[in-house]
Amino acid sequence: MFEAFGSRVLAGVVSLSMLLFSSFKGNDPKMTNLGYRNSDSFLYVSGIMENAFDNDFPTIFASGTPISVIYDLEIRQGNRIVAKNSFRHTVSYNPATGIYELRKDGRGDLFRSDSVQDIMRHLSSFDFGIPHQPSWAQVQIRIEARLPVVHFDTMNKEVDLMVLWKYKKPSARIHADLRTPE
Amino acid sequence: MRTQIIALFLIVSIGGLVILNNVFQAKQENIHSALKGMELSSQLRDIRHYSSEDSLQAEALMRDFNEAKAVVNIALSDSRVMTSVVLLLVIVLSTTVFIIVICRLSKPLRELKHATDQIRQGNFSVHLPETGLPEMRELKSSFNMMSRELEAIQTRLLVAEKEMIWKDLSRILAHEIKNPLTPIQLAIQRLEERLETNPEAIKEILPESVSIITQEIENLRLLAQDFSNYAKVNQPNTEEFNPALSIREIVKSYCQDYQIELDLAEDLKIRFDKTHFYQVLTNILQNAIDASESGKPIMIRLYGEKSYAVLCIKDQGIGIERKDLQRIFEPYFSKKSKGTGLGLALVKKLCDANGSIVRVKSEIDKGTEFTVIIEGV
Repeated sequence: MFEAFGSRVLAGVVSLSMLLFSSFKGNDPKMTNLGYRNSDSFLYVSGIMENAFDNDFPTIFASGTPISVIYDLEIRQGNRIVAKNSFRHTVSYNPATGIYELRKDGRGDLFRSDSVQDIMRHLSSFDFGIPHQPSWAQVQIRIEARLPVVHFDTMNKEVDLMVLWKYKKPSARIHADLRTPE
Repeated sequence: MRTQIIALFLIVSIGGLVILNNVFQAKQENIHSALKGMELSSQLRDIRHYSSEDSLQAEALMRDFNEAKAVVNIALSDSRVMTSVVLLLVIVLSTTVFIIVICRLSKPLRELKHATDQIRQGNFSVHLPETGLPEMRELKSSFNMMSRELEAIQTRLLVAEKEMIWKDLSRILAHEIKNPLTPIQLAIQRLEERLETNPEAIKEILPESVSIITQEIENLRLLAQDFSNYAKVNQPNTEEFNPALSIREIVKSYCQDYQIELDLAEDLKIRFDKTHFYQVLTNILQNAIDASESGKPIMIRLYGEKSYAVLCIKDQGIGIERKDLQRIFEPYFSKKSKGTGLGLALVKKLCDANGSIVRVKSEIDKGTEFTVIIEGV
């Protein structure tokens, strides 16, 4: 709880200082269109990330080091957490071939393209499936995205990619009634 | 002055930091733009590699270059974010420190102002804690010294005033009690003498002596009543009544012995303690009777003016000297041979208690006029 509060305060301070004193654009990620589908055995959660990868990411992806976007999914029934999972979308780049590869956890999708724009378009949407427990009725689905700390081997340097999102973790929540399959 | 210097310093330092930040941000933006334009991968890919070793070397070169570019890019972004955050924190911190300093500077002044107000209201026991800046400590120390001196003077004055009041009271009481005692003593001596010399003839002087003693005892009783009345003026129990009716009732008993003319507005109503009203009127009237010569009537007039009822009692007596006019409402002040000096003081006290005003004007050998202004209903 304190960690979440701390990260919110940090994001607020960074946003305010950016607004007042910096010409740094960075990215202002926003999670929209959060939705869910309910099948017999799986609950699928989907959404779109807006303004998340437009600036600086093409350069970062081109480094060749695999870059992940992590989505933390949390399902609550009342005050109780009934399911918690993390999914990664990882972009890798091969400088020799100029091909980008996007691997999406959750559905196991794999995209390949020589266009970073294509990859970013695919990266901007997510769709995860998690096993649906029969006891789940009215739940609250919350999803939060973050960027990891990445180690660049050649430079032997560790960097926190959250700086590209100005330390702001985009999140969204939705209430779902799972008593009847859609 | 100190505050202004601190504010100026703060503005200059923060302004300098903001300018410095802008310069840094502009330089970093330039580096960022230049970095974006640096591209190696596509050119290297286009070069024909004759062996797999060449390809591997080219690939390693591209990877190193791109990785370095990514790291520099992130480091630049990080530094731009951090400088802005640090600048914001510096500004917040400096402003907080500034506010604290200002509060610490102004707090003793506020304390001093509060203490001065206390002194103004007569509370000399107020003392300030001698803390803070050296100049402030010195100022507070001087203030404390002053308040202590004032407190000591006040205590001495109170003691002296009490002593004076008791002395005055004792003097007046002694004088007033002694006056009737002398005739009583003389009457008793005469009776004793007659009893020793000619007991049979005592009846000749007995009625006169008894009359003197009774009269003087009555005087003593009145004296005690005057003191008692003055001492026990309490909260008025106001009620609404017609003052004209009350005046007629009060004056009725006086009219048999004295010439009193009435001119009363009948339709007025006032809110006043009825007992207090009786005391006010009888005291002023008694004063007027004492000052008047026989054959000269006393005028009592009651009329309404705006929302007030005005009661005037005018005699055509000897009048009061200008210098005495200012003192006639003071307790124990009297120019009469027989009097405690409490009658008019009581009038003033009762009028004050009922929210009314009493005024007096007088001309020597022409008479005196007392005016009581009472709020009407």
